[in-house]
Amino acid sequence: MSRTKEPSPVTSRSVRSRLFTALRLGFVVLAVIAVLVPFLWLVASSLKPAPALSAGPFEPFRPQLGWWRDVLASDVRVSLVRSAVVGLVTVGISVVAGSLGGYAISRFGTGGRTLRFGVLSGQMIPPAVLVIPLFLIAFQFGLNDSLPAVIAAHLTFVLPLTTWFLIGFFDAVPREYEEQARVDGYTRFQAFWKVVLPQVRPGIGAAAIFGFILSWNDLFYALILAGGQARTLPVAIAGFNTFRGVELGEMSVAILLSAVPVLIASFFVQRRLIQGLGAGGLKG
Amino acid sequence: MKAGEQGLKQTVTGAPERLGRLLVMPLLAILGAVLIYPVLFTARVSVQDYRLNALDQVEFIGTEHYASLITNATFINALRNTAVFVVTAVTLELILGLALALAVQRLGPTRDGVRSILLMPMFVTPIAVGLIFRFLLNQQLGLIPPLLDLFGFRIDFFGPDLALLSLALIDVWQWTPLMFLMMLAGLESLPKAPFEAARVDGASTWFTFRRVTLPLLRPAIIIAVVIRMLDALRVFEYVFAITRGGPGQTTDTIQYLIYRVGFQFFRLGEASAMAYVLVAFVLVLVAVLIWLTRKGESA
Repeated sequence: MSRTKEPSPVTSRSVRSRLFTALRLGFVVLAVIAVLVPFLWLVASSLKPAPALSAGPFEPFRPQLGWWRDVLASDVRVSLVRSAVVGLVTVGISVVAGSLGGYAISRFGTGGRTLRFGVLSGQMIPPAVLVIPLFLIAFQFGLNDSLPAVIAAHLTFVLPLTTWFLIGFFDAVPREYEEQARVDGYTRFQAFWKVVLPQVRPGIGAAAIFGFILSWNDLFYALILAGGQARTLPVAIAGFNTFRGVELGEMSVAILLSAVPVLIASFFVQRRLIQGLGAGGLKG
Repeated sequence: MKAGEQGLKQTVTGAPERLGRLLVMPLLAILGAVLIYPVLFTARVSVQDYRLNALDQVEFIGTEHYASLITNATFINALRNTAVFVVTAVTLELILGLALALAVQRLGPTRDGVRSILLMPMFVTPIAVGLIFRFLLNQQLGLIPPLLDLFGFRIDFFGPDLALLSLALIDVWQWTPLMFLMMLAGLESLPKAPFEAARVDGASTWFTFRRVTLPLLRPAIIIAVVIRMLDALRVFEYVFAITRGGPGQTTDTIQYLIYRVGFQFFRLGEASAMAYVLVAFVLVLVAVLIWLTRKGESA
């Protein structure tokens, strides 16, 4: 810091840099507040008794769990299970097909650059293009308003993304591992299954959690393909937005039920997500 | 399974391709079924008079839907609204996300904790975010309007003038975290040497940012902007949760219009044509991306 081009007074420079640091910290603090306030308001709304909900934000209130009891006893519970089932099945299929395919693309260059980058092009197709045929096909098979239709739709975005992440993670495993395994008498598939796969297990876990979150949060496909009897959690949450007014307390509970599990899961994948973005996303 | 010299040679050269083809099979089969087939299906529907409530009268009508879209004021309006929404939201997200990444990168031990908090909004289902802000910004039930009242402001966030901007700001709340995450990943993968050189030369913070950080970060910025733009083009949940396209048609976006035309008015042929016009815009966006990255490489 002392080697400046022109000899400027040390004090003015340190004052300026201290001011800059203060501004930077102030900006981060503001951002943290902006992120947290809606969550805190949501928690407060889920605990407020009915009169307090319309009394304005600064009135003191006595917390109660009535909304939580009501919602946990309602259909929302079933919707939550449906969302979990859809997410797990989607992710299960994606991880199996994605790790097999991703390994072939990473190691054997199967399909060349076309497949390597083509996989991701699925991500660019607007849902509006896919939802119409998926709806009609489901209709023909008698699968409208059912979870298999939603799972098929969720595969359109979870599978490409999972595969893309896994290609990056496989690329990062040194080839010597398989060569050694081959020398030890493993077949190519055994080398993949017993040697490489364990190496990328943390990556698979992160990709799986991320894929699950994407599926868990989808409204558009679920609303159109299963908006009636087979409502997932986001569709149920949207249902609190009726034109005869909103049940704010119950809505807050339903949103927290949806948000808290994925927020907890997200803390485990953030580090990996940054790596995945750095490796797979930017090398291309 | 042990074969002679000949067989071994064959396994070394021949097997990887065979095994590779076998391993990508499930991936290709699923993508073919849920992506490629539906895309072709939509193309066919878009040249038909395909109405869900008149499935026995489906007729081939060629480019009629496409031709009528050119003069369809509702469609043009939805495209315009979507463009305004995408440009406003993504521009703000890039500025805020990059600034936050730079600020957080230089934090000390609190860095990981702060990062975790800042990323929270992107993990919440967008319909919930829409509903949360619908009520946070509500005059009677909300939090923000009473706060503004203290300073003597009164803003109708979802009136005709501001509704689209309000929706864009909700997008900024939810998705600046993703931009921040991508910028942080980009910053962490930058080489250290240029920054060291700039520091030794006594370059100012601003100069280092303009002449070292930004050029090095350029590929990451381009990719991040395109990822966010493609995603913002699909805006649906905030509109569905809050304005339903109104007041008037001021917040009617393309994905919401396609939903209404296709699944509330059952005119799937027309909706498919709209969806394909949207694809054309996406392709242009992606082409611009490729062109921009190529330009960066040759420069």
